[in-house]
Formats: sequence, C-alpha cells, structure tokens
Amino acid sequence: MIKRSTCAAFAALLLGTAAFAPSAFADSMTMWVRSSGANAAAHLVDLWNSTHPDKIELTTIPDTQMVTKLATGVQAGEVPDLVSFDLIYMPDFMKAGFLEDLTAELKADPDFASVAKAYVDIATYQGKLYGAGFTPDVSILVWNKDLFKKAGLDPDKPPRTIGEIHEDAKKIRALGPDIYGFYFSGACPGCNIFTTSPMMVAAGSKILPANGNDDALTGDGVKEVLEQFKEMWNEGLIPKSAQADSGANFASIFKTGKIGIQGTGGFLLSELKHDAPNMSFGVTFLPGVKEGQVSSFVGGDVVAIPKGSKHLELAKAFIAWELTDEAQLEGLAKNNILPSRPELADNKYFAADPRVVVTAKAIGIGYVPWVYHFADMVNSDSSPWINMLQRAIFDGDVDGAITEARQKMKDIASE
Amino acid sequence: MRARRSSQLQGWLFTGPALLFVALFVLVPLGQLVDTSLTDRSLLGGGRFVGFDNYLRIWRDASFWRALAFTAQYTIVLTPILMGLGYALALLTFDNTPLKRLTRTIVFVPVIIGLSSSSLLWFWLLDEQVGLFNKLLVDLHILREPIVWFVSADLAFWAVVISITWKVVGFGMVLFVSGIQSINPDIIEAATMDGASYWSRVRLVILPLTRRIVLLTTLVSAIGSMLAFDQFYIMTSGAPRGQTFTAVYWIYQNSFVSFRLGYGSALSVVLTLVILVLSALQIALTARSEAA
Repeated sequence: MIKRSTCAAFAALLLGTAAFAPSAFADSMTMWVRSSGANAAAHLVDLWNSTHPDKIELTTIPDTQMVTKLATGVQAGEVPDLVSFDLIYMPDFMKAGFLEDLTAELKADPDFASVAKAYVDIATYQGKLYGAGFTPDVSILVWNKDLFKKAGLDPDKPPRTIGEIHEDAKKIRALGPDIYGFYFSGACPGCNIFTTSPMMVAAGSKILPANGNDDALTGDGVKEVLEQFKEMWNEGLIPKSAQADSGANFASIFKTGKIGIQGTGGFLLSELKHDAPNMSFGVTFLPGVKEGQVSSFVGGDVVAIPKGSKHLELAKAFIAWELTDEAQLEGLAKNNILPSRPELADNKYFAADPRVVVTAKAIGIGYVPWVYHFADMVNSDSSPWINMLQRAIFDGDVDGAITEARQKMKDIASE
Repeated sequence: MRARRSSQLQGWLFTGPALLFVALFVLVPLGQLVDTSLTDRSLLGGGRFVGFDNYLRIWRDASFWRALAFTAQYTIVLTPILMGLGYALALLTFDNTPLKRLTRTIVFVPVIIGLSSSSLLWFWLLDEQVGLFNKLLVDLHILREPIVWFVSADLAFWAVVISITWKVVGFGMVLFVSGIQSINPDIIEAATMDGASYWSRVRLVILPLTRRIVLLTTLVSAIGSMLAFDQFYIMTSGAPRGQTFTAVYWIYQNSFVSFRLGYGSALSVVLTLVILVLSALQIALTARSEAA
C-alpha cells in the first residue's frame, strides 16, 4: 500500500515538472534590429518575452551596417530568426530572395487586414507578402504656437498649403534676427524624402521611378514646392546653417524654440515633451500646394523572416502576435510609439494628447515609394534627389535641377 | 655547400610564420579582390564574370577621378603641414626636461583618440550655431560672424585639415623626437664648438641625420591621407554635392550604398596600384638622393 505522504510527494513532483516543462523545452529566437528602431522594438520584444515561454534575444545593429550584415548573413547561412529593418530596403531584399514568403499566414490574419496600406504595399512582391509593419514612424508638420502668437498669427491654425507656410514664415522671421520662419536640413537626403517629398506627393507628383521605363518627378508639385523653398531661402526665412546640415540638426533645432515651422517625424513628439516641456507646439499633416492636399512619408521598420531562419514557425507566430491589439496597444501605444494599424490611433494612451492621434492618423494617408536602388536614388550623399534639392533651392536653377535629376533617376532605375 | 643550405633552411623557418601571415591576410584577400573586380557581383548576391568591363567603366567614371584628384589635393596639402609642424614640435621638445616631456604628452594625447570620435568632436566644434571654434574666432575679431564651415567644398576641406592636424601631428612629433634623440650628442656638440648657429645645426646636422625617419614618416602619412575616409564621412558626408568625396569614400558608396561589389573591388584595385606607384616613386627618389 502506498502511503499518503508518498502520493503527495509524487503529485508535487509531477506538478512541479509540468510547470517547469514548457520552459525547459522552450526555444529562444534571435532578432536583429537596426539602431534607429531598437528602442521601439525592445518594448515589443520585452512584452513578448514576459508573456511567452519562447524568448527572443534582441541584437542591435548600427543603421549603416544592417544591409551589409543581412546580405552577407543570408549568403553565408548565418541569419537571425527575425529581422527588423528600414522598410525602404524591402524591394531589394524581396527581389534578392532573402526573405520568407508569409502570404498564407498574413492573408488569413484578420489583424493584418487593418494594417496601413503603405506597409502592405512595401512588403508585397509579385503578389506575395514578405513582411509586416513593425515599429512605424511617419512625417508630420510641426509649428511653434508661441512664435505664431507673437507674430500675430492664430496659434491654433496651422498652414494648410506650402504657400501659407511661406507667408507664415515671413511673419515669424520678422520677430527677430535669430528667429526663423522655416527649417529643413538642406544636405540631408533622407530627411527631405521624409518631409519634403510628401508635400510634392500631396500636390499630385510622383517622385521615384520603379524601373527605367517609369516616370520620375512628375507633375507640377515638384517644381512648385521647390520654388517656394527657393524663395524662402532667398528671403532669409531659413537659417544659413540649413544648407550644410546633413541631418545633425534635423531633430534638435526645433527644440530651440527659434523655428516657426518644420517638417519632422513622429519621433520628435516625445523628445519635445521631454526636452522643451514649456514649448507650445502643434502637429498637422504635411500640406501640398492647394488646400486639402495632404500626405506623409510612412517610414520606420518592417519585420520579416530571413531565409535560413532556424525557428520559422515560432517567428511566424511572433509576427502574427505583433499585429494583435495587445502588442499594438500595450507594446507600442503605451510607450508613445505609433501602431501600424491606423484604426488603433484613437486609443486610451493617445487620448491625453490629440497631437499623437494626428500623428498616428498620418500613417493612413501616407505613401512609401516601392523602388529598387532607393539608396542610390535618394539616400546616397551624391544622389540625384539631394543634388536636385540643392541645385534648385540654393543655386536657384529649379528647372535644370529637375531635368537632370529625372534622367539620373531613370538611369539608376534601369540598372 | 651543406652549411649554406642549412643556413637557407633556417632562414625559411624563421621567416615562415610571417610569410604565412602575409599570405593568409594579405595575398589571399588581394587575390579575392582582383577576382571580384572581374565580376558584376552585387552585395545582395549573384554576379557573373564580366572581364575588364569594370575597369573600362572606371576610365569613364568622372566622379572617381574627381574623388582621386580631391584625395591627391588633400594629401599634398596635409602632408607638409603634418611633417613641418611635427618636426618643429620635435625640435622644441626633444630634450628630456619635465616641461618638455609634459608638452610632448599633451600634444600626443589626441593621437590616441579614435579618428571617428575626433571627427565627431570637430564636427560640433565647427558648428555654426553652437560650435566653440566659431565663437572663439568671432570673440577674437578674426571673424565678424560665424562661418558655415561645411557649406562650401573649400571651407569643408580646411575644416577637415584643421581637425586632422590637431589629431595626428603628435604622431610625427614622437617619431621625429626619437630620431633626433638617437643622434650622437657629440656630433651636435662638435658643431656648436665649431661656431654653428642653431639653424645651421638643424639644417646641416640634425635634418640630414634624421632623413630616413623623416622620409619614412612622410611615406606613412601620405599613404594614410590617400586612404582618408572616416573624417570626410563624418564631417562632410561628401557634401556639398559629392565635392568632398575621397577615393575610398567613393569605393564605399559604390560597394555598400549602391551594392556594386564588383565595381567597388575594381576601384579598390586601381587605388591600390596608384598608391603602390606613388610609394615606389617616393622610395626611389629617396634612394637616389641618398646615393647622391
């Protein structure tokens, strides 16, 4: 006859083993994230790790090294299970066959149906899906309400066209020698595709060609926006340092309180609240040439699974989870990060600050170009995009700049 | 005969490890570089043999030749500054008094800072709005208003030259000090007793006896300048409009931004050959002047 105490001991042993068993046999995945998105990704990964037995180990890769590292890793067979990277590289990676096909899983996922169209488009290649929006960012227009008030402008009425930006900037410039009406980073190609190109797109222009036979820099929007920028520069409404700013002052200069209006990203909101808590500022969509024309550049990171991942099914489970309400709200929105599903923009975490709601909604009206060789055409320090901006705005040759850039972009796209 | 063979074998055994190291870490990668340069390999994979197409493309690549000319200009301007200033500092500090040792240490400290850190430091020191350098020049009435250093290629060039001079001059100084200190003091004393002035002693005794180290340091400095990348990447980003791209920066752009590994490899081979030719020329000229 077995004693009761022995039975109890066996029962305790079984229970303890059952509780321990999942973690004893739990897997751990590896994930690479570029440094710009590391903070946001960490919130999601921490939430996953706290609620799942299979953990994710996050490794941060410097932005400029991510492409090289992933490319060489895939070719060497040394890849993480998940990777989060700048979404503009999706076309090149999909074409190169670096990523796993997620079409079946994502199309069957009800949460995926409400992901912003820009993220769906950028992750689609030849009708198949290879990734999902992960840690979004989006471009917006900010204006300094204190300066607006001092200049006699209505602080609650943002400029609704590029022309109104120009007019408001003139009035703000009159406030003093070290107060400027407008700012943009004149030597930063990435900053400008993020904040200047949406104004052109809002006005109906198309910026980049998808291939050598496609059009580039179409419509009057490109010229009209460049003309306005050129005039603002010639009138001294923009600081001289903007011409040589390759992005170092892109985030910091608005915090000084000496700039009236600037295009920026959603990332600046929490920075402003932290670094310039006394500044009263507003957030609106980037405008085009006519009232009602608005757009944004939908950026940030996508998450995908590299070919060669050792935990494919688990990685797919993570991607499905990060699109759920729990992940989007408790992982992202709670930490002042935008969700990739615009329908979640109106949530309890953003309710306290309508500016964050506007920023989140900008994802739904935004665009992202689907092109190969984006770095060559735009981000490179010698790209036709930045050369066009500098020749048009600082040299004053708008037509020549557009013609030259158009041809060079088409040459790159046909490679 | 047997003794000679034994001696030769010993020589091979002693130099073997070094030769193996050079073969593994220099010759093999060099061979791979040349091999890649004959293909249209992309960073994203794939690529086929294209023969000398990349080299023909280089011949037509105006941006590369512009970058190479800019690099040569940078080398020609910077090298005499570093050598002249380094030698002058060495002449002032080669005695081993406590003050001169302290001075050498202070001048040498920037050498041990990483090049990227130093470039970032100077980028912000030269900033038009918050930079201390501009403020100093305005306060000293050298400038009426702050300069935007990186708005023109010329100003950006001099900004980088100033930052690299500050960082690297101590390296040359230390090498020259060791050269000067290795001169037999009796020679200098004899010259002094013969009535030679300070400048005569420098020109006719110290300089000739430190010629080898001066030429070696000049060669190393020139090669370093021809391979300049970090400082321009961080401080100028090649701006304005690619006018401050160096040869290595252009190789980086093609290989890692445009993904053209094959073409970038060909550019690297060409740059290597250019530096080899210039170095060989310098060594030959040195040997000829010594023989004379």
